[in-house]
Amino acid sequence: MALCTILRCASGSLTSSLPRLSNRNARTPAGLIARTCYKRGLSTTTRFCAALKFTDKHEWVRVDSGVATVGISNFAQEALGDVVYCGLPEVGTKLAQSDEFGALESVKAASELYSPLMGEVTDVNDALADNPGLVNKSCYKDGWLIKMTVSIPEELDGLMDEVAYERYIKSIED
Amino acid sequence: MVLRLSNRACVLSGSARLKSTLSTYFDEMGKAGIILKSASTGIFENLALEDWIPDRVDLQNRSMLLLWRNSPVVVIGRHQNPWQECNLPLMRRLGIPLARRRSGGGTVFHDFGNINMTFFTSKKKYDRHRNLKVVTSALKALRPDLDVAATDRFDILLNGHYKISGTAAKLGRTSAYHHCTLLCSVDRSILSSVLKSNTSEVIKSNATPSVPSPVKNLLDVDPTLDSNTIMDAIASQYSNEFGFDSPVITVDPTHEGLMPGIHKMAQDLQTWEWIYGRTPKFSVCSSIVVDDVTIKLDMDIKNGAVGQCAMEIPENWLPSEMVNEFTSTLNGSNYCPNETAVLMAAFMRTVSMTADVAEKIHRLCAGVVSVM
Repeated sequence: MALCTILRCASGSLTSSLPRLSNRNARTPAGLIARTCYKRGLSTTTRFCAALKFTDKHEWVRVDSGVATVGISNFAQEALGDVVYCGLPEVGTKLAQSDEFGALESVKAASELYSPLMGEVTDVNDALADNPGLVNKSCYKDGWLIKMTVSIPEELDGLMDEVAYERYIKSIED
Repeated sequence: MVLRLSNRACVLSGSARLKSTLSTYFDEMGKAGIILKSASTGIFENLALEDWIPDRVDLQNRSMLLLWRNSPVVVIGRHQNPWQECNLPLMRRLGIPLARRRSGGGTVFHDFGNINMTFFTSKKKYDRHRNLKVVTSALKALRPDLDVAATDRFDILLNGHYKISGTAAKLGRTSAYHHCTLLCSVDRSILSSVLKSNTSEVIKSNATPSVPSPVKNLLDVDPTLDSNTIMDAIASQYSNEFGFDSPVITVDPTHEGLMPGIHKMAQDLQTWEWIYGRTPKFSVCSSIVVDDVTIKLDMDIKNGAVGQCAMEIPENWLPSEMVNEFTSTLNGSNYCPNETAVLMAAFMRTVSMTADVAEKIHRLCAGVVSVM
């Protein structure tokens, strides 16, 4: 039953990755977390899937129902200064993890953006065209950059959670 | 691999037994700071060198300064609109190419009288003020009475008023570069005419705009200051400022063996898709006058291609079906005069029309192409 629910609600790319999930050793913590996430996350939005994950390049990812929303962290937007232009990709662009997908221009520089996951861009925040400052004002909400599919859910396991990210920021500030 | 010209300068050349690349050569050198001079005056080769270095050279514990000059070219910033920033028809007539760089910032004109400096560092060591201090200190060491100072916008002003240098930068994965220009003896009449757009009033865009400034050449205040002297002074001051001890190495950025992958980087920078296609979406709203008839032209341009094209033409001048066919021919085509001219020639050959209509279409075409 749970499996049927997963197949019905998940996106195409997610379904294609399911065989990979079941082939993996489910006894490893990563395997357990991934399975739990997708079994529980579709009837109710669990904290697991909706929680923010962070890359060491200061991007955040939030996965909801198989779609990942990507933005930059507060640390990053503060470091950048006022964003004057967001150079974002086209819908349909295919990205591998760590691929450069655009750049944010501020007084500081043109800062390149790197994809946290492998997937395909499904949506781009058009509001940023006329209001690039949203990235500074609301980096976790209205200042989101792109939405994308999640080809390899395990990639999320390699990203930092909020606590780990806070520790990471402290370590680089020192 | 290395041809020493003097104690302080050397040229890297290929050799039959060459196994290492520029990157491994730097690693073997073990220097914390390296100064490079480009042997090329080609903008695309030099921009490719700026792409190659952060990509292939370890900059975490090593910084670099690259000095380079180009033959005449207009360079726009990563998110700019060339139709808004420069006079493209004039540039085509003068044979001055257009390049788009990967850093942000505004539009500049380069020729042999302009020195470019690129400061490569790790992201942690990124410090534009300190880099500009190298430039102003070098100039003051040459001519202590020279009034040059960096501003908050990272420009360098001469006599508190004339811009002699502008800055742009790019932050990558783990490293950063800051590059700036320096006007020594640039052709100022060409500079001001190519940097003045012929169509900016008809364009509506959110691309990053340039901030125009009055400019001067260093040569104007001191005819004895030449580019080579200035470059040597900057190299010397770079070593002083950062405590480096590095010879000045001349590199040829067309040498694929020494810099694997650089050829493709130069090719990527020359594609229409990068130079023009990367222009943020914009709209053109223009009135063209043909035979005393005013025609309103509205076009949306996305990725450098005409997305939507509408024309308001009096029905008695040209039938609306003809106008619709004309505009739908333009839809999806690149916003490029050559391509449009070819499309229009094909249109006129394939669509049957009277000689009178053909003449009007021909003049309409010329009007449309004039805004490109």
